[in-house]
Amino acid sequence: MELFDNLSLGFSVAFSFQNLMYALLGCMLGTLIGVLPGIGPVATIAMLLPITFHLPPVASLIMLAGIYYGASYGGSTTSILVNLPGEAASVVTCLDGYQMARKGRAGAALSISAVGSFFAGTVGTIIIVMFAEPLTRMAQKFGPADYCALMALGLVAAVVLASGSVLKAIAMVFLGLLFGLVGTDVNTGAQRFTFDIPELSDGIDFAPIAMGLFGIAEIVVNLERHLTRTGTIKVGSLWPTREETRRSIPAILRGTMLGAALGVLPGGGPTLGAFSAYTLEKKLSKNPGEFGKGAVEGVAAPEAANNAAAQTSFIPMLTLGIPSNAVMALMVGAMIIQGIQPGPEVMTKKPDLFWGMIASMWIGNAMLVVINLPMIGMWVKLLTVPYRFLAPAILLFCCIGAYSLQNSTFHVMQVACFGVLGYIFSRLGCEGAPFLLGLVLGPQMEEYFRRAMLLSRGDAMVFLERPISLGLLITTALLLILMALPSIKKARKEAFQEEG
Amino acid sequence: MEDYAFWEASLNRFLSKDFLSGLMFIGFGLVALYFGQKLALGTTVRMGPGYVPRMLALIMMSLGGLICVIALVAGAEPVEKPKWKPITLVTIGIICFALLFERAGLLPALIVLILIASLAGEEFKLKEVLGNMVVLAVVCTLVFKVGLGMNITILRGVW
Repeated sequence: MELFDNLSLGFSVAFSFQNLMYALLGCMLGTLIGVLPGIGPVATIAMLLPITFHLPPVASLIMLAGIYYGASYGGSTTSILVNLPGEAASVVTCLDGYQMARKGRAGAALSISAVGSFFAGTVGTIIIVMFAEPLTRMAQKFGPADYCALMALGLVAAVVLASGSVLKAIAMVFLGLLFGLVGTDVNTGAQRFTFDIPELSDGIDFAPIAMGLFGIAEIVVNLERHLTRTGTIKVGSLWPTREETRRSIPAILRGTMLGAALGVLPGGGPTLGAFSAYTLEKKLSKNPGEFGKGAVEGVAAPEAANNAAAQTSFIPMLTLGIPSNAVMALMVGAMIIQGIQPGPEVMTKKPDLFWGMIASMWIGNAMLVVINLPMIGMWVKLLTVPYRFLAPAILLFCCIGAYSLQNSTFHVMQVACFGVLGYIFSRLGCEGAPFLLGLVLGPQMEEYFRRAMLLSRGDAMVFLERPISLGLLITTALLLILMALPSIKKARKEAFQEEG
Repeated sequence: MEDYAFWEASLNRFLSKDFLSGLMFIGFGLVALYFGQKLALGTTVRMGPGYVPRMLALIMMSLGGLICVIALVAGAEPVEKPKWKPITLVTIGIICFALLFERAGLLPALIVLILIASLAGEEFKLKEVLGNMVVLAVVCTLVFKVGLGMNITILRGVW
């Protein structure tokens, strides 16, 4: 019955007027930015980080979660209506969603995607509630060496499941870890890489890095591609036909299960879930030739998987403090800004925050169905605003947001610098996600590493002597070896092919 | 002529995404080593502030080296020719905003940023840009100054 106590605590926190308003505001803002073509959830959260900065911790996390779901829903809308995905996960939605729209079934595609996402979100939330406690209890047995090994596994898994070159992604993790070390060394008080700039003595602030790397760089890349929209957007009836409903229900169920399972994996998340669900549906279908030409399963399953995975990817982050993808890394960053160190202690020490956030996830998902379906006309209007108006406006809000972090223009300058760095990364085909993971885990990992070595009197064997740490390191090594095998290499390349 | 083609081919080999990113990792590693040389290493039991950074930098540089070698031997995707206009103008715009915001106020900073950022796009129509400025100036003033009560200057010496 502890489960129900926890849930009722969660709902009592989430249903307070203030938190409901923040959840709604987060969903609205997330949809507002997420619906803009070419801007995905990571960029949206990065750009909106400053807004949540001055809120109390519970409210800020509730709002961030709302922004995340809002951006995902908004991204689906853009993919279906104008074929411009903002993130890798909605690339799959474009394949059949846009084809449905061209056949005049945009409304049906939108409502199936919204209802499917809501169902998947609900299941995802239930899974979080069930797994949170046992996982937390397990994590409490971890010593410093085990934690260090766990983080190594998390980082490597995230790299393996990312697209592109594995070597480059690992190097990006190290670069992120190095950037994470800037500032005052906790153990000795020495200044590291601060270049005598007082603002850097507390470390490089997380928000400007995220804003520059993801927000600004994304805007610049979009400006280069000069996004053009074709034709007028017609939504049509929101009601799916009986045939469409009959076909999409099993697809939603399968997508939800697959997405929920893949979301928990370190390195997993919405993208993996959506791609796998699409492939599964195509394999199961009696007429796979329909896929890519407006098959309703091709929208229902990936959208459900996408949202289920988005939910369950919170599990490793909330219970172990290990982010599995870029969005979760942003959430960890936001929690650290709020003075909360993510990990097993969050649930025991701050139960109101933990359960309140989980309850508000479900509320947020419910709100989004309402925000998206009846108000679809408003978002479609937004889609017709040309990018030449939007880009300068987004830049302006980013600048003011960065300034508002600490009322200092130094942060605005940082945004500019990291914008350039993010642009270089994207030109060289280096992914930002591993960098961000390294950045948020860097300080903690160093701390655990040094503590483990101190406890073992400088004997690195400690990592191999503790069973938990050994097991985690063996898994990490296995993953790396698997990646080097030519057959796996080829399969992985093919799996990410549809993305390009 | 043949010589030219040969040079171009070998140049392209070095201008691949992988080779250049390998160089970038080595470069960052060198920067970390150079600026971290004064940090004490300590011992493996009691690590000084310099131990972990140096370790990370060295691993990253070896990875970078490996990436370079693989790119040269196996060949890699060439880097796309960058378009300088958007990234340069957007960066200049943000820097101008940062310089002007406290010294002159929100309004001048906004005007300069929007002007420069609009130049970064494909189309530039002065009337539209002016309209965008007016709308954004009103919205920002209402939201940030009046609504959220942020302590910002709209125009130095005036409001």
